[in-house]
Amino acid sequence: MSTMTLRQGLRLDGVLLLKLSVLALVGVLIAAPLLRIVLDTLSPGAIIAWSEVTTGRLSRNLLWVPLGNTLILGVGVACGCVLIGGFLAWLVVMTDVPFRRTIGLLATLPFMIPSFATALAWGSLFRNSRVGGQSGFLEGLGLAIPDWLSWGMVPTLIVLIAHYYSLAFTVIAAALATVNSDLVEAAQIAGAKRGRILFGIVLPVALPAVVAGASLTFAGAVSNFAAPALLGLPVRMQTMATRLFGLIEVGQTARGYVVAILLILISALFLWAGNAVVSGRRSYATITGKGGRAKRFDLGAARMPLFLAALLICVLTTIVPVAILIASSLAPSSSALFSNWTLHYWVGLSNPSFAQGQPGIFSNPFIVSATGMTLSLGVAVAITTTIVGLLVAFVLARYGRGPLSGTINQLSFLPLLVPGIAFGAAYIALFGAPIGPMPALYGTFPLLVLAATAYLMPFAVQTGRAVIQQVSGDLDESARMTGASFPRRLLAITVPLASRGLAAGALIVFVKIMRDLSLVVLLFTPTTPLLSVLAYRYASEGFGQFANAITVVILVISIAATLLANRLQTKSQPWLKS
Amino acid sequence: MIRLETLGKSFGSFDAVKDVNIEVPKGAFLVLVGPSGCGKSTMLRMLAGLETPSAGRIVFGEDTVSDGEKGWTIDPSRRNVGLVFQSYALWPHMTVAGNVDWPLKVKGLDKAERQARVSEVLGLLGIGALAQRYPNEISGGQQQRVAIARMIAPKPGILLFDEPLSNLDAKLRVEMRTELLRVHRATGATSVYVTHDQVEAMTMASHVAVLNAGRVEQFGPPAELVARPATAFVATFVGTPPANLVPVSALPPVLAAGHPQGVSLMYRPEDMRVSAQPTPDSLAFEFAEASPVAGRIMITGTSGDRRLTAVVDQAPHFTVGDSVHFILPPSPAALFGATGERLQ
Repeated sequence: MSTMTLRQGLRLDGVLLLKLSVLALVGVLIAAPLLRIVLDTLSPGAIIAWSEVTTGRLSRNLLWVPLGNTLILGVGVACGCVLIGGFLAWLVVMTDVPFRRTIGLLATLPFMIPSFATALAWGSLFRNSRVGGQSGFLEGLGLAIPDWLSWGMVPTLIVLIAHYYSLAFTVIAAALATVNSDLVEAAQIAGAKRGRILFGIVLPVALPAVVAGASLTFAGAVSNFAAPALLGLPVRMQTMATRLFGLIEVGQTARGYVVAILLILISALFLWAGNAVVSGRRSYATITGKGGRAKRFDLGAARMPLFLAALLICVLTTIVPVAILIASSLAPSSSALFSNWTLHYWVGLSNPSFAQGQPGIFSNPFIVSATGMTLSLGVAVAITTTIVGLLVAFVLARYGRGPLSGTINQLSFLPLLVPGIAFGAAYIALFGAPIGPMPALYGTFPLLVLAATAYLMPFAVQTGRAVIQQVSGDLDESARMTGASFPRRLLAITVPLASRGLAAGALIVFVKIMRDLSLVVLLFTPTTPLLSVLAYRYASEGFGQFANAITVVILVISIAATLLANRLQTKSQPWLKS
Repeated sequence: MIRLETLGKSFGSFDAVKDVNIEVPKGAFLVLVGPSGCGKSTMLRMLAGLETPSAGRIVFGEDTVSDGEKGWTIDPSRRNVGLVFQSYALWPHMTVAGNVDWPLKVKGLDKAERQARVSEVLGLLGIGALAQRYPNEISGGQQQRVAIARMIAPKPGILLFDEPLSNLDAKLRVEMRTELLRVHRATGATSVYVTHDQVEAMTMASHVAVLNAGRVEQFGPPAELVARPATAFVATFVGTPPANLVPVSALPPVLAAGHPQGVSLMYRPEDMRVSAQPTPDSLAFEFAEASPVAGRIMITGTSGDRRLTAVVDQAPHFTVGDSVHFILPPSPAALFGATGERLQ
């Protein structure tokens, strides 16, 4: 008896120790930078930044105008995305539109294309001569492009909607797929007309997904850095993200941190509000067992026009931007995208008469080393997130009770609420200066790895959970009943079931790193060059072709990795197909 | 009254339902029973007006509501029918009371009337206390009751049930059978009930139509189906336990004598006896299972893919691996031809 209690005591202590170390890890990675950024702005020398930013003479330019622009972008993008994404989701899930699968696939692609790629493509097409430099393709054709279409709010809105609508599509389509056609038929039998069924049954059932789609795209738009920076900054349109970037770039870190904190609060507020609407008593998880058939809405004569509209949306947001990027990386003048093609921007050697002596990207040692650096970062972060994600998910799955686990859970999902650029600022705040004996990490590879690992923690924990759910419980127990030893079960059951899921998760992390700009744009230094930041720098310095060529490289790597991940994911569970 | 005349439904070249002729009086409880894929759900959906028949007519009372020849069907909402879906199809964003209330609202009833009707049907189903809950907050059996309450609230003349009990556990299923019959009587409506469970059909129906591959094998009251099965399929599908069918080629010579080639003979379980030793009129099977049934013993044996079941007062103790010898009565209860038609 006494040995029992003793062993239990030891065991519990072991668990406690494990929980504490995981909590410490999550705390250092996520909580510490965020706390530090708050404390930094509260220190005696910096606290004045709060009043400067919110009420001071400069507050209009520092905060209120960027805040207004940010909110316009957020609301506009959320509305646009829900309309377009919802329309496509309805078409694909509930109607008999032709080529539904193709449209469904195309509609998920824009989110794979980084927003700076879409923004660059927009510039190559619509740029006018207002800010100098090369003019775009359409002006090259002799069309007069008005300023509002070239720069500022309108193009930023369009580019962000073109990027984020696939997020709304995914969420709404998943929800509509659970609207059993029985629900509609039951309403038909009750005698309701089409309009009443739509407003009384279909829309209310889909409402949580619409709200979720709106809040996700809102949060995405307010934290997006690339699109407003590329399309808005040249005409001095500031959002909170670009303002934060500018302030930190010029060394006004305290003010920058204040803007970062406010940006986090706005983004978190809307995500929280969206979540509050969605969860609650009327959570609409499907409540049925058997039965329920898919009867598609007959579009009749509108079938072809609606199909063409959907196809147009998809092509304009996926194939067209990529094609423009490729063409523009080959054309010496973006006003003539399809003539005088040259490989100079790819492989050319430095030539003073060409692009101010810039060599092609594959002949530029700096870019080649940036490619290596970016790939290494992707691989390193894929590995670290997989390990950390599994560890956290394991602790939460096995010892999920108690306040410690609750805190771990909350903390590990906190980065979802934090815009990437603000997270980058927080990392500078924490690791920009030496901590005790540890040297300052700013400008080092480990800092990038740490920041990216923390930033992708929610995703990693999600993957880890899915994998652990897949392999724990009945499957492992049934193997135990056969008398198989732990190593044998690990090799025969756990690893085969888990490995593909983990590999797919790791690949997606890799892709997220490859195409991320907002997190790394503040952490970038010449010693740690990254492709996405280089593309951004080239674009803002007027070397559009180089920026586009680098973006094409990023796209190729991301698409290849995404396809591989999809393959692994479907292959990992062939028994789920049918 | 419901009348189906040469009713048919084909999807492309596949005939889901073919040449169905059935008539039941007002107040009847018609059960459509058959294995999965036999076309019974398609028939129910045609009755509900959710599918248009491709042949034949559906007549409710004096009115033709669907006509396959002319290719038209009256809208579900104007046929005076209610349907309980297999999935229940409760609207997840409305409370229990809201689910029952909505069809009344669509009908245009005023508020006081609706409130009275909602509390009346919730009371009838014994779920008044759940009125303010959402569908995902109540159990499967309770969801089932809500679905029924929602169907009967607008007082339809015809109640349609699509395998409503298939999502419930065994005990609840027996309870809900009684409950459904009570609701059926209380409303005085004509009910059509689809199931693959012949026990449900036998216990609930006033009329049963046994369907197989889109056709009606037999239509009649439950007792007649058991007493005089019209086809070999019906003989082995209905009854607890169902009757045994033995091809003449498998019979012992004394019993096979006098029967033409290719026929099958039907023996009722209660007419058979079992023995541990062979007799001239017995068939040797491998013992499979024995279970006590209402003071008697039900014994099942297998031989290849053939099964025989006998219900006897007493039996020797068999264990798996034993041979059990089924002693057949001198004459069969019925005789079926090679294509399943009844011969006597």
